[in-house]
Amino acid sequence: MSVDRVLDLIRSEDEARDQALDHCLTGLAAAELWEICEALDAFQRGDVNLYERVRALFFLHAIHRYHLPESRGLSPEGRIPYEGVRLLHKRRFEEAIDVLMEATRRQGPSDPLCSALAAATHHLAIQTLANQVRRSVRSVRGNQWMFRLGHPADQTLRIRPELTRPDPRGLYPVLREQTPVRMDLTHSGWSDIFFLGMDFPQGARVINVSIDLAVHGSGARPRPPVEAYLRVIDEPVLRLASVDLGVKADLTRLAEVYDFARDYLGLLKAAIIAAGVIPPGMEGSGHRLADLLEQIAGPGRGLELVSSVNGIPKGSRLAVSTNLLAALIAVCMRATGQTASTTGPLTESERRIVASRAILGEWLGGSGGGWQDSGGVWPGIKLIEGCEAAPGDPEHGVSRGRLLPRHRILDETEVPAETRRKLAESLILVHGGMAQNVGPILEMVTEKYLLRAQPEWEERQEALTYLEEVLQALKEGDIRRLGDITTRNFTGPLQKMIPWATNHYTETLIRLARERFGERFWGFWMLGGMSGGGMGFMVDPSVRGEAQSFLLETMLRVKRQYQHALPFAMDPVVYDFAINEHGTRAECLLGREALLPVPYYGQVLPEWVRTDPRLHTPARRGELALLAEVSHADPAFASLAPQLFTQLLPGDREGTESRERSMKTLLEEIGFDPLQQEEVRSRLLSGKLGLARNRLPETTRIEDVPPDAVIESATLGAREETLGLEALRKGEVAVITLAAGTGSRWTQGAGVVKGLHPFCRLAGRHRSFLEVHLAKTRKVAAAVGSPPPHVFTTSYLTHEPIRETLASTHNYGYEGPVLLSKGQAVGIRMIPMLRDLSFAWEEMPGQLLDAQAQKMKESGQAALREWARQTGEGNDYTDNLPMQCLHPVGHWFEVPGLLRNGVLADLLEHRPQLQWLMLHNIDTTGANLDPRLLGHHIHSGKTLSFEVISRRIQDSGGGLALVDGHLQLLEGLAAPREELDTELRFYNTMTTWIHLDGLLAVFGLKRNELRETAKVAAAIRALGHRLPTYITLKDVKKRWGHGQEDVFPVSQYEKLWSDMTTLPELPCGFVRVPRMRGQQLKEPAQLDGWVRDGSAAAVEALCDFAT
Amino acid sequence: MKIDRAVITAAGRGQRGIPLQTLVDRDGVTRSALAIILREIQDAGIKKIAVVVRPGDEDAYAEAAGRESEGLTFLPQENPRGYGHALHCARGFSDGAPFLHLVSDHLYLSDETEGCARQLVEIARAESCAVSAVQATRETTLSLYGAVGGVRVPGRERLYQVETVREKPTPTLAEQELVVPGLRAAHYLCFFGMHVLTPAVMDELERLLNAGDRREPVSLSPALHALAAREKYLAFEIKGNRQNIGIPYGLFHAQLALALRGVDREEVLAEMVSQLAAREGLRA
Repeated sequence: MSVDRVLDLIRSEDEARDQALDHCLTGLAAAELWEICEALDAFQRGDVNLYERVRALFFLHAIHRYHLPESRGLSPEGRIPYEGVRLLHKRRFEEAIDVLMEATRRQGPSDPLCSALAAATHHLAIQTLANQVRRSVRSVRGNQWMFRLGHPADQTLRIRPELTRPDPRGLYPVLREQTPVRMDLTHSGWSDIFFLGMDFPQGARVINVSIDLAVHGSGARPRPPVEAYLRVIDEPVLRLASVDLGVKADLTRLAEVYDFARDYLGLLKAAIIAAGVIPPGMEGSGHRLADLLEQIAGPGRGLELVSSVNGIPKGSRLAVSTNLLAALIAVCMRATGQTASTTGPLTESERRIVASRAILGEWLGGSGGGWQDSGGVWPGIKLIEGCEAAPGDPEHGVSRGRLLPRHRILDETEVPAETRRKLAESLILVHGGMAQNVGPILEMVTEKYLLRAQPEWEERQEALTYLEEVLQALKEGDIRRLGDITTRNFTGPLQKMIPWATNHYTETLIRLARERFGERFWGFWMLGGMSGGGMGFMVDPSVRGEAQSFLLETMLRVKRQYQHALPFAMDPVVYDFAINEHGTRAECLLGREALLPVPYYGQVLPEWVRTDPRLHTPARRGELALLAEVSHADPAFASLAPQLFTQLLPGDREGTESRERSMKTLLEEIGFDPLQQEEVRSRLLSGKLGLARNRLPETTRIEDVPPDAVIESATLGAREETLGLEALRKGEVAVITLAAGTGSRWTQGAGVVKGLHPFCRLAGRHRSFLEVHLAKTRKVAAAVGSPPPHVFTTSYLTHEPIRETLASTHNYGYEGPVLLSKGQAVGIRMIPMLRDLSFAWEEMPGQLLDAQAQKMKESGQAALREWARQTGEGNDYTDNLPMQCLHPVGHWFEVPGLLRNGVLADLLEHRPQLQWLMLHNIDTTGANLDPRLLGHHIHSGKTLSFEVISRRIQDSGGGLALVDGHLQLLEGLAAPREELDTELRFYNTMTTWIHLDGLLAVFGLKRNELRETAKVAAAIRALGHRLPTYITLKDVKKRWGHGQEDVFPVSQYEKLWSDMTTLPELPCGFVRVPRMRGQQLKEPAQLDGWVRDGSAAAVEALCDFAT
Repeated sequence: MKIDRAVITAAGRGQRGIPLQTLVDRDGVTRSALAIILREIQDAGIKKIAVVVRPGDEDAYAEAAGRESEGLTFLPQENPRGYGHALHCARGFSDGAPFLHLVSDHLYLSDETEGCARQLVEIARAESCAVSAVQATRETTLSLYGAVGGVRVPGRERLYQVETVREKPTPTLAEQELVVPGLRAAHYLCFFGMHVLTPAVMDELERLLNAGDRREPVSLSPALHALAAREKYLAFEIKGNRQNIGIPYGLFHAQLALALRGVDREEVLAEMVSQLAAREGLRA
């Protein structure tokens, strides 16, 4: 019966479809849930429409991710077939699901297989959605022909004749498009996500305002922030330039136009393609770009397309990139006669085609904006609404709604001029400085919408009512009420649907603004998908000026306070803005006006000046003559001359010297060990270390462990608990949290200190990892009446920020001793060995690309081999910023670090009874001083007890294994075969219980020798020798010029803590703990699932927060 | 509806010399293009014909018309303002009556026993409305023609109700406004260069000529677009094809098409084969 109920949720047309999946599944056992999965899988493979298929897939994902793991009768153990994993990696999701379902039928439902099926169904659902949007964009009338056109002779677009006539100087007219950006007053719960609009058109409604901007305090008046320029040139090339990114390229081959990843010009390429100038159908045709350009612009001619964004950084939540893409597309369409008029505004049908092509461009370029994002193309304030698909629409029968929404411009009867003025007087637009990826949030919204999860579904209904309220407030000119509505929307429906829409920074700013302005603070307004970047604050107009200054100062101060904890991309700014009542507009620049923006010339003049004057084309000569002329009259152009001198004589030598100086200073500060580096280098050069050497020999016998190798934590009882509590009471225990890393996956390389990131709201406030760990220790301390010492290991990257934070928060209220152990282990990256490059590129599995791309990749690799040979294999890599030349050397060094820096000796001095340590990763939020696990460790008599968990598909890289009969943790780098990942059932959590004297004994040390620096150092080096050193290749970026960057592969080395289990004399034990205790949070995208599956609540229960 | 007069436009820039070119017609007789066009019109039963020319071209055209010059009127286009203006010069000649209109840079080859103009005139008489001859044309040559959008007249073969007319549309515009259900993919109904027009077209042309900037050229398509909104206006897919003799190799292609359908077919084919063989032989 449950099967029918679940399928009815998808199939029914009435309100039954809006019921929550959770309601149908409450209390079901694993076998019953599996039966539903079988039915859903069969259903989604049948003759169903897009909506039904995607919803069935999200249901499958939810059941595998949340319901089955919690159900009665689910086996904790199961084996994921390697073939399933391989297919998933190759993005062949349907086949992967086949393999995994078959395995489940054979083995019975299990936690590992559920994790794999959850991943596969989620990927397939998202891929199905993306494909459908792509298909819909292609089928929009006006776009279809571009996919059919495959030969230059068939291109019917021509540059308008007036743009092909040079003036007497030889200069061609310049067509300039100026486009505002958009802000949304309410997106009604992210209803601007394409799929939501297409599935729930009646709920997809936004109020969207086109605005001009200027940075407050710059003295400039607000103007359209986005500009696109197009002109004919007298060279048969496609010249693309991005003024704001400082990049320029001449494309001469058709294939380069479709190579989006090659440089920062992807957006311009996508625009040229989506505008039909170089249509998508031409990709891979092998024709000559010059032939196509001749057809479009005339013999010997080419086109130049230039983009310019005036002072708005990434993450503004103002849809800058979509509107820039739209501006570029519009200028290309105008130039090729695809609009009625070359200049002025666009007609409604032209705006719609520009919008649909901007979506196409975004999908071509691999990004994907929202459905309202090209709102800047339209004028003023508009209501954008989803439309139901009708017969004749390409979407009819596929989705309920159309791809493109309807734009209704709100006139003066709906938003009077007075309201517009009042809005401008009250609203302060800011960029908070954070730039975060909004993608995971959009996926969460889609998933929750499809599952109709309560209360999110109720919140969505609530959010919809706010739009009407906003319209009413606008009509009445009641800005105070508007502020109240947007605030309620933010604190209510938006955060209840997606808690990650807010963050600690935003909450702090709102609190401070409210404290300062009280009643005169009218409200907060989240722009776009999440807060922290573009945001709005509404205040009483009487305090607007004061509030602007206050917000700027406050944002800067709070940013400085949290700059190591939150991913800031820039300093915050306050904007001046004005509503743009025209939408996108173009003008044709002729004669003395026919120039590109000033910064463009700053970029190209050095190259022009170096060129032999005889080689300049007539147009270039004319342009130089005109530049000389205008630079006398126009101060903006006059500034080019001094700039030119600086650029012609770069101080590169000086740069290199200062770089070397600062690197040396840095190494001295860190306490770099040159002996260690030299030793690794000599072993690398002699071939004793290398990528191939990381792996155990093929002949090594590697097996999964027998059942008795791992103790179940669930079987531990009162005896262990008593032992553990006793040790805790006597003060024999300390916690060591590894906090040396920046968590590059956590913030996508933003370089913040992961431990300080206030990642989630727990017990009513955003808490950092550090705070959570201390709160857990605090709770144990209170229970046993003796606060255990808590040590955080740090590195040159994290030490100071952590020290400052702990000082300013008084150790987050923890009464016990908190110590920092500053790691001194750092390596200098090295030029890779040729044999390692060959191994990485030829012997490790990699994805084969299409023929042309593969050729390009191989030619790039040949150049890098030559670079390595010429620079000297194994030499230090120093030709970059110092931080880019150094690398952390693996977490093994963090424990010896305690010995070497005296922290352990200090600790023992104050607490000689110390016997036991619990070591864990910063992101293992569930790890605490559990007395039963401690008691078990004490009772076991082992030196080290490692906590392991049952493997799920996301747990990749090694596991617990029998290696030639020896029970040990196998690192992923050492695994000779990829399949091993799926064969080993247990995954290492890194949480380790340590018997202190046993550990010292392995180093050959005693407690009283810890102050003997030389002895300790020698002991560490000696043990280090016995552990494997892994060589890895890492891509580092080197930036040069204006935003240009090259990527170099460099060698670095590391030693890993889990390899302690390879030491034969060291007694190690293994305990399986529940996933909630052992899982690690590696990416913010995991957070929502972590809250939903109860992990967050479980962690909260372990904590005792001081405030 | 009585259709007893025709207007040929021949005053376009770069177009003046085209109707004066000579070709060998289907019967093996050497004639000017103008004479062939005149014959096409006369075969449709129309005797009163006006040719809109550049002032001063009258004599050359009269000579090129040869034996077909009987009943021919020349209308000089003073201060030319485009194709629409040229046609408007015949307003007095059309005298408030429907008329057949042909351009002078196209020749027509019918697949039926009746000529193309005759097919069109008959349908216009039967329907009592303006009708434009159209041909389904691939989107890749859209930039050469005016094109219409509309729907099939129910139960009628090759006959369409015109809703939209656009001059030389881009494929972008064509896909949005000119898709006609039932045509092959990526094909549009493009003008054949032959229309039966009603007096309302002259009114629309006059309106356009008097609107806005009075120096701007005026095309025929906007007048036809307005006509579609004003009265019944059909498009008819002619069984035949058009040869544009105003484009590179256009005259050659037209000659080839005429020859391959005419009395000298065998001789022309033999000459082509011999040319090809000689070329291949030289290469060998």
